Amino acid sequence: MSVTDRFGGVVGKLSSDSRSRREFVEGVLFSLPYLALFGVFLLYPLVMGGYMSLFEWNALAPAESVFLGLENYTTLLNDSQFWNALGNTFYFALLTVPSIVVVGLGLALGVNRDIRGQGFLRAIFFSPYILTVSVAALVWIDMYSTQYGVINYYLGAVMSNPPQWLQSRLFAMPAIAMTTVWWLVGFSFVILLSARQSVPEYLYEAAKLDGAGTWRQFRDVTVPQMRGAIFFVIVINLIWAFQVYGQPYIMTSGGPNQTTETLVMYLYQAAFNQRNFGYAAAIGYVLTGILVAVSIANYYFLGGDNE
Amino acid sequence: MSNTTTSRSEPFNIGGITLRSALVHLVMYGAAFLFVVPYIYMISTSFMTQQDAVAQGMNWIPDPVTLGSYIQLFTGSQIIQWSINTLIISSLTTLLVLLVDSMIAFALTRLEWPGQRYLLALIIASFMVPGFVNIIPLYLVVSDLGLLNSYLAVILPFAAGPLGVFLLAQFFRDIPYELQEAAQLDGFSNFRIYTRMILPLSKSILTALALFIFVWSWNQFLWPLIVLQSEAAYTLPIGVVVLQDNFTYQPALTMASAVVASGPLFILFLLLQEQLMTAVEMQGVT
Repeated sequence: MSVTDRFGGVVGKLSSDSRSRREFVEGVLFSLPYLALFGVFLLYPLVMGGYMSLFEWNALAPAESVFLGLENYTTLLNDSQFWNALGNTFYFALLTVPSIVVVGLGLALGVNRDIRGQGFLRAIFFSPYILTVSVAALVWIDMYSTQYGVINYYLGAVMSNPPQWLQSRLFAMPAIAMTTVWWLVGFSFVILLSARQSVPEYLYEAAKLDGAGTWRQFRDVTVPQMRGAIFFVIVINLIWAFQVYGQPYIMTSGGPNQTTETLVMYLYQAAFNQRNFGYAAAIGYVLTGILVAVSIANYYFLGGDNE
Repeated sequence: MSNTTTSRSEPFNIGGITLRSALVHLVMYGAAFLFVVPYIYMISTSFMTQQDAVAQGMNWIPDPVTLGSYIQLFTGSQIIQWSINTLIISSLTTLLVLLVDSMIAFALTRLEWPGQRYLLALIIASFMVPGFVNIIPLYLVVSDLGLLNSYLAVILPFAAGPLGVFLLAQFFRDIPYELQEAAQLDGFSNFRIYTRMILPLSKSILTALALFIFVWSWNQFLWPLIVLQSEAAYTLPIGVVVLQDNFTYQPALTMASAVVASGPLFILFLLLQEQLMTAVEMQGVT
């Protein structure tokens, strides 16, 4: 883990007392600019968020905030809008994360085959990832439009009653999820492709000699060899999914009937529309808790792999 | 060409190989086509007249081609100002991240001082808490510092993220220590080792990181939406959404704004796609 452990011996031979004192001063000076940013804009808000979540926070006069203890959290438990937003966020994660992993893996394995224009295909599949969420969302709003949209224009030719997409309680979230898969899959695709390319070819040769067909090769060589990359992709997409905001904000404003309102949207609303900062901070802490749980679960799953 | 000829020269496998290979090509290029449909729609609509853009039926090729929407966009909105804002914010963020992250990564991996191990662990642990989850206290900090509506309101919180420190520390510690020792024996100060040795040796990763940070900060949405409240301060991602909200349904105009908002990054992508994808791969390797 530690760099000093690994190399301390080598550098240590050279050091004398005065040199190590100088290195300490220099170490601190070199670290200071980043640490100042880290402290003010990351660490302090993190601690402060926990503190604020215990108050009915008065933004104009913080000293007059009313201490509530855990009341914000118990209120959350009985807040149906919170549960709705939490449920929607999980639903979004359920729709997007498996799709991104499956599509990303499929595209990666396809591009990895003996195929013309490999570099071209790689660039195409990656490219939506460099768009801002606004552009992705605005283009898809038009494409989903029931009156003018491309999608229903062609669907209308094969079915009499195409979905109302963003206006439909049933289809709004899947529509947002589909846009998200298109927008973000490129990141996972590139990582999975690179992982696939570093699987040694002789493993496949050996599997073939043992009479393994395509499916057995996939199950017994590809998947186990790419395990680390697959886990990484799952975790990073889960983390993104739980923070989803831009797509539903732009495409549906959380509608229809709040079926696409997510946790971060509700947090934003509690803070900046209702000015209830303490309550919003509590929502933020619940979200942080979920994300930390995801990371820890990942650490345990992967733990055995690294040793 | 060569692929086809080799498979043809294996008569026993003609059916198997070519059919399978043809199928793979069909599926992959079909998928690629679906991926670019939104681009085609965006670009082609942006060159249509307002009437054509909302006309019944689907016309993929604008007829007549018009720059009307772009002219309306540049004269009737602040999109030029937003572009400048976005460019300045992304460039300064990138420079700041490269500077402060490389400095601390140097201190954490190439210097020996007590506490560095805990510091690195703390920074890595902060990965678990994505920066903007605690947007409420962060907003109050930025507001208390009087930074609302300024470039710094977007730049500084972004530069506090741990990604660059992590990637650079990983890279720096694999640079051979013998080089550093030799330089030290020659009387190089640590500052010179940082500027003359470590930074030049890390050009590839610094470039990749710079690109990634630039694209990422260009595309930020939620945080700028919160701290940039006056129209003149907007970035492109915020501006184009507000623009679409303000007009009645005008797809040609909206798509023109989308082209302007994503165009610069697309050009960057075409020029430097390898480095950009390398930056993504590096995150997977960790």
